[in-house]
Amino acid sequence: MSTDLVYNTNSKQISLDESIGTSDISDATNTNIRQINKLTTAIIAESNPNFTPQPSDNLSKMIKSMFETGIKNLKQNKMQEALKNISLALEMSQRKRAPYEAFQIQLQDMQFMLRQKIDIELILGKNLDAIQDLDMLLNTGMLDPELFLRKTDAYLKLKQYKLAISDCERGLSLFPANPKLRVMLLEAKRRFADYNGDI
Amino acid sequence: MSEPYTFQRISVYTPLLYGAVVILSLLVFGSQYRKRQVQELSQLKSIFDENEARDLYFQIKEKQEEEKIHEKVIKAALLNRGAEAVRRSIKMKELGPQIELLYKNGGIGEEYWKRFQNEIKLIDLEFKDTLQEAERLQPGWVQLFVGLAKEICFNQALSRRYESIAKRRETCIEQWGLKIDDEGRLIE
Amino acid sequence: MPQSYDYDEGSETWPFFMLTLLLTVLIPMTLMQIWKLTGKTETEDEKVLKVNNSKSVMNKLDDKYTDSSIVTFRDKYNNSINNVFSAKNGLIIVGWICVSVLIQIINSNESIAKSAMGTFDPYEILGVTVSSTEKEIKKAYRNLSLKFHPDKLDRNLSEKERLSMEEIFVQISKAYEALTNPATKENYLLYGHPDGPQSQIHGIALPSFLVNGSLMAKIVIFAYVSLLSIGLPYLVRNWWVKTRSYTKNNIHVETASYFVDRMINYKPSEILTVKLIVSWLSHSKEFRIYYPTLTAADFERLLLAHINREKVDKSERDIQYRIVAKCHTLINGLVAIACGFRNMDIASAALDTFKCIMQAVPDSKYSEILQLPNVNKDHFIENSEDIFTVGKLFTLDDKKIGKVLGISDEELLKDTLAVASNIPFLRLLKAEFKVPGEKNVITGSIPYISLKILVHSARQKVISEKKFPEKYLEDDEDFETIKDPYSNLQTIPLTTYSFSPYFPAKRRSDWVCLIGLQKDNKIIQTPVTIDRLSFKNLNNEFDKRLITEINDKNFNPEEWDIAKINIPLGQPAPNEKGTAFFKVVIKSADYFGPDLEFTMKMDVIDPPPFEEKEEIYEDDSEDNESGESDGEESEEESEDDNDSDYTDIDTDTEDEDEDN
Repeated sequence: MSTDLVYNTNSKQISLDESIGTSDISDATNTNIRQINKLTTAIIAESNPNFTPQPSDNLSKMIKSMFETGIKNLKQNKMQEALKNISLALEMSQRKRAPYEAFQIQLQDMQFMLRQKIDIELILGKNLDAIQDLDMLLNTGMLDPELFLRKTDAYLKLKQYKLAISDCERGLSLFPANPKLRVMLLEAKRRFADYNGDI
Repeated sequence: MSEPYTFQRISVYTPLLYGAVVILSLLVFGSQYRKRQVQELSQLKSIFDENEARDLYFQIKEKQEEEKIHEKVIKAALLNRGAEAVRRSIKMKELGPQIELLYKNGGIGEEYWKRFQNEIKLIDLEFKDTLQEAERLQPGWVQLFVGLAKEICFNQALSRRYESIAKRRETCIEQWGLKIDDEGRLIE
Repeated sequence: MPQSYDYDEGSETWPFFMLTLLLTVLIPMTLMQIWKLTGKTETEDEKVLKVNNSKSVMNKLDDKYTDSSIVTFRDKYNNSINNVFSAKNGLIIVGWICVSVLIQIINSNESIAKSAMGTFDPYEILGVTVSSTEKEIKKAYRNLSLKFHPDKLDRNLSEKERLSMEEIFVQISKAYEALTNPATKENYLLYGHPDGPQSQIHGIALPSFLVNGSLMAKIVIFAYVSLLSIGLPYLVRNWWVKTRSYTKNNIHVETASYFVDRMINYKPSEILTVKLIVSWLSHSKEFRIYYPTLTAADFERLLLAHINREKVDKSERDIQYRIVAKCHTLINGLVAIACGFRNMDIASAALDTFKCIMQAVPDSKYSEILQLPNVNKDHFIENSEDIFTVGKLFTLDDKKIGKVLGISDEELLKDTLAVASNIPFLRLLKAEFKVPGEKNVITGSIPYISLKILVHSARQKVISEKKFPEKYLEDDEDFETIKDPYSNLQTIPLTTYSFSPYFPAKRRSDWVCLIGLQKDNKIIQTPVTIDRLSFKNLNNEFDKRLITEINDKNFNPEEWDIAKINIPLGQPAPNEKGTAFFKVVIKSADYFGPDLEFTMKMDVIDPPPFEEKEEIYEDDSEDNESGESDGEESEEESEDDNDSDYTDIDTDTEDEDEDN
């Protein structure tokens, strides 16, 4: 499927010809164009044609400072600001870093920041957002009993009892000795029994 | 009791001719069959829905003949294409044993198995082609290119997953029948 | 090699040829049809199932609420073997008519009779039977030879008559020789004629008119060539392609390919919804084979309309029923493929989608209640009062239930309550890994999953596993169960039809069991279907609204049937000792609610030391605890034996001495 590309000489970005109906354009096309544009921006900034995956120190500093502002807000109990700042730090990490910067660094950044974000979201009662972030964090391979605890709790708050039990049991399988998970499981089961009218 | 044998004159060349006809027809059949097999293979649909990364690269390359496009844009498109090739190669390696087992157990048909094996070769070729292009664009870049492509592949995957969070959130609300207020809290 | 062939001039052989052909086909076919008609093909299982179905409340209600258009649809597609007027029976009758015609031809054919006479039968010639003694044979010969001996013939006979008499006399002598003279007898036995091997006639069972004329000859050759080198390969190719076209799970190969494509291209950003699975289903090849003129979009529209219980144009109704009915096979195929890719989420979502299709209820938190009949959807969603499960519904009294569901008619409410209380819910009483013949799971052994499940109604009070004494939750440790743990499956009856008035086919309830590892949340084996369960517990009176506490007065474990289900594990136990956690998901294919999901722990230990093996040789080996005590006991026994041996010998010698 050939789409007409439009090249903007100033911004060096490519985009799609708008005269074609956007419904015909597949998600894959859009995604790939976005990815190419992001790469272009990143490479243009590189003076050395043989650039490496070495993460940019400058950016790391910026992200770290933004994150620390957020933590400061957290300590001051200014939850909303804390959430905003940490989210910004995450965005910065996602948007500003070049796609070829070392994956390990990007992943660690994200995991670290997401954890904080989740905690704040739970405090603020944003359970659904917390669940989405917890899901992502667990998918990246960071398996920690605390995460399972938080996820089960969030599910219970949203009344998704089956999912709560399922996740809690998985947590217990990975960390069988954890007492908090065991208590959480009993609680989840109790609430589920009530939901089912099992008196 | 038995009738007198009758003789029939047959030339010496008859058996030779017969042999020649048979062998010739077999050869012709063999070559035709092989040709048809190759044609079939080339027409097999790829397992992946589309390869936008590759298509876009070639489109940009074409466009370069019309307008002046910064060479870094083309390099970016090539890196994107390389990253996609890496992603597919990893995916095929992961799915390989599972598809093989499904095929052996009769869960999928002959045609799919052929497509799968074909796909592995195609992906290999595609990656080699990408590397050649990289060498052409910037001599000596190949070594770095492979490392970059790998990092880009993983980062892109992470980023795609991160971007999808908003959409997943909406689906959850719909599936679970939740009512969420502006602050993201549950309305009882 | 004979120089010429005899063609069937006198119609001697082709009738037999045709007769053989016809009978080879007709006799088995007729026997099978007769067998089917008498209904003796029902197995014990099917008989029990018929009885259970006739008694089943759910079945009756299902029939009551099934729309008439569905009933007509079912009749149309049901192949009734009992229909005496089917085409197959017609063919059989025509076949037998042909057979009788052929027999007539044979009987009336003189030349056949003649050649039949050509066989040499000494018994007949002498007029004796096979069981006659030698004396009788001699006597018969004597009498006959007196009649036919050339010297004894009447002189008035003509030359012709003389010759024929002579012939007969020769035959008589030969017959007598054949029965008495050992050499002649051997000839007769070997070649059927006392004179030794006769000349062989090779004939072809074709009348000559078919072969002689050049035109006819060409036609015959053409017929043979087309039959053998065109007709036969064509038939075989068609059959082969058909077999290859369907996978082991009975879905079309193209459909399977499509599903695998979807699974490979499935992006994690796309969330699994029922809608997505439905869109996959609508691309199946099977639908396109049924209705080549319709597109995938049409099928998707019809399937979604079915799930949402939207009215569909009458012309499309049959189409809709047909594709909906096919979904069962398709979903099973999809689940099998998902299991092949070890993907728990897709397998689960596919099964959830099938529930939606069975009950024609979209996937939402209200589904469990909306699957009940007569529920006023809008009223319920507004006043759900936090009741989303059938179990919770039954905490209210009947009248209140009617109010919540928006059912004012008493009769309708009665039906709804009957359905609600007959939905078979499962409760796990015990789950463990067992290895046949061993007490624990040994490294590298092949364990199976042993489940004890209580089928109960949502109306009944919860009975925890602790209320059942140990013996009810134990397996019989007899040789049969150890040899084949799945042998007890046959004692459990087949499940009865489910309540699914919107589904175009009648289906028995079943559950699909998915087994995975908790470590990576991936499936480890192909899905297992559980379609044998007794629903007898559903009739037990144990209303949770009436019983406050379970005690000996109201609870008798004998009245409750505990299903003992053994599921084979697809892979052996790990080779190292340790613990592994498995996730078992048992999903109902028909109803929202009766699903089970639990974790099972497998403790793998090293094989016990050698001494333990001597356990097998003891009679009372039930309560042996450690290997050491076993060793000691067996040693003691052998010592005793030794003692007794010596004692015997001692006594003997003593006796001997005494005797001496």
